[in-house]
Amino acid sequence: MLWVIVKKELKRVFSDRRLVFSAFILPAVGIYILYSLMGTMMGEMFEDRDQHQSIVHVYKAPTSFLDYYENHKDDLGMMMTFDQADFEADLIGVKDGNVDLVVMFEEGFDQKILEYQTLEQVPEIKTYYNPSEDYSYPARNKFVMQLLEGYELAMLGERFGHENYAKAFMVDVTNDESEVMDESKAMGIGLSLILPMLIAILLFAGAMGIGLDTIAGEKERGTMATLLMTPVNRETIAMGKLIGLAIVAFVSAACSFIAIMASLPNVGGMLSGGRDISITSLSFTVFQYVQLLIIMLVLVGMYVGLICITSVRAKSIKEAGTYVSPIYMIVMFASFSTMFTTGEPALIQFAIPILGNVLAIKQLFMFQLGMDAFLLSTIVSIVITGILILMITRSFNNEKVMLNA
Amino acid sequence: MIKVTNFTKVYRLTKKQMKEQKVNDHKKIAVDNISFIANKGEIFGLLGPNGAGKTTTLRTIATLLKPTMGEISVEGYDVVKDAKAVRSSIGFLTNELKMETHFTPDYTMKFFGQLHGLDLETIKTRTNELFEYFGITEFRNKKIGELSTGMTQKLAIAVSLVHDPEVVIFDEPTNGLDIITAKAVTEYLQGLKDKGKLVIISTHIMTVAEKLCDRVAVIINGKKVADGDIPSITTMTGTTNLEDAFFALYKDNVKEVL
Repeated sequence: MLWVIVKKELKRVFSDRRLVFSAFILPAVGIYILYSLMGTMMGEMFEDRDQHQSIVHVYKAPTSFLDYYENHKDDLGMMMTFDQADFEADLIGVKDGNVDLVVMFEEGFDQKILEYQTLEQVPEIKTYYNPSEDYSYPARNKFVMQLLEGYELAMLGERFGHENYAKAFMVDVTNDESEVMDESKAMGIGLSLILPMLIAILLFAGAMGIGLDTIAGEKERGTMATLLMTPVNRETIAMGKLIGLAIVAFVSAACSFIAIMASLPNVGGMLSGGRDISITSLSFTVFQYVQLLIIMLVLVGMYVGLICITSVRAKSIKEAGTYVSPIYMIVMFASFSTMFTTGEPALIQFAIPILGNVLAIKQLFMFQLGMDAFLLSTIVSIVITGILILMITRSFNNEKVMLNA
Repeated sequence: MIKVTNFTKVYRLTKKQMKEQKVNDHKKIAVDNISFIANKGEIFGLLGPNGAGKTTTLRTIATLLKPTMGEISVEGYDVVKDAKAVRSSIGFLTNELKMETHFTPDYTMKFFGQLHGLDLETIKTRTNELFEYFGITEFRNKKIGELSTGMTQKLAIAVSLVHDPEVVIFDEPTNGLDIITAKAVTEYLQGLKDKGKLVIISTHIMTVAEKLCDRVAVIINGKKVADGDIPSITTMTGTTNLEDAFFALYKDNVKEVL
């Protein structure tokens, strides 16, 4: 009997082209296009920044600097002009984004460098840049890290007779294996930043649209009374709807998940936490996959329970929609809040419904999910789902709720 | 057999409903201590104006509502204790019965047949029989949403009868039906009676009751004011037809002037 109802619920959804399109295909394609577009655009932005020729205006440049610059300007990609007429106008140019960087050397720079032993303070170079402009901060970075650092080293070399005398040691010049990370774990940590949140939200979104229709919609259209007239237990009807909805939610989330995975190559470092690592390097054990599946299942159970109880209590889809939106907000809040937690969460946090489950997924991706935390979050979810199912079946037996009597 | 004994149904009103109906009491007595017996092989009618408590009574017989007081049994099964057994032996029809417009008549029959515990072979035979009778056969594979109102109503009736119930409960059988469908339905109900089934209907159209019913119970404001076969009711009220008899009863029981 249960299976007959589950089958009908599934047939209702999967044989309706419009529903299939709006519940499975549209979100998946949307996610794929959105992420790919974001990835490509971010990539282009970075590339554009790299390609951009910075406009740098330098004032009172000493001869030593001019010489150094002349020898190194080819690898810099900077348009440097020296001693413009109006320094104040240049600062406004930085503010407006017309000039990327303005640099001011101290008066008598070279002389002061030579007199370093008698001077109280070494001479200063002042830079003026605009952090709110795309090209300004990278230009300043390049100027300071690449040009000035090399320039300083050259000067110290002169001071000590050879450039090497100015260096006490080197860091990682011949060491190609400097990064000793477990690629799989690194990918996991990257994914753990954003994927648990996405999974939690996608599962809810998948269940919500169709979930409101399956009970509140049936009440509104009057088809529920027809169903209640059959000699099937009300509990069976309720369970059939719950299971059907859970399957729909799962398939919907799976479609979105596949879309995310498919868009990863286009997204580059955005989803993998800024690291350039292939998704293929992520290797979970079978046990971890089983754990992930269980966490997702109990999460879906709780979601479906919540959505069903609101739609059972509501008289129409519209009313159910009003009730369910605060729940959606809580789900979003719980999911987002895990994005910014660092370190090992306290065990008690896993006992908080939804938040605990999302945390468990996060820890799982980081290969840090303890058995106690896993069991705690799972058991809490199962208990809550049980209570919700009990409430739903009681509502199904309540004439006031079901027939608005 | 349907046996209704001292049946009372009280609704609890919400504050909003109290305001709408302009009453100060939380309780509204929909049906007040009524009793009657309806037997196999007859069409029994519940007569009364709108809001008299007919639908409440029928819904309670059909286990959709629970009695506040009193007992109701169908085929010997109590509507509260053996609700499932009652639902197996009845077909409950109302013109408000709706079906998922996305499915075909064929699938809908199969689905409800299965929920009634029928095997696929029986469902097929019953479906063919009922579809043939109500003229649904050529539409059986269309989506319900594409059918005409009359066809959908006939399908709803066919769906409610898929399990060939011993007792058929029909709330306002001809209300909202087009004239052709209404005729098909009344003829079908008569056919059921001839097969020895029990049919119980509610109506406020006296000509329908006069034509269809063997016995009736008149309900006004939740109270039963008369029951028996139609000649005995007209004799009792000193009238010549059921409609006049009904108005005579109404005048006796309601103070408001007609």
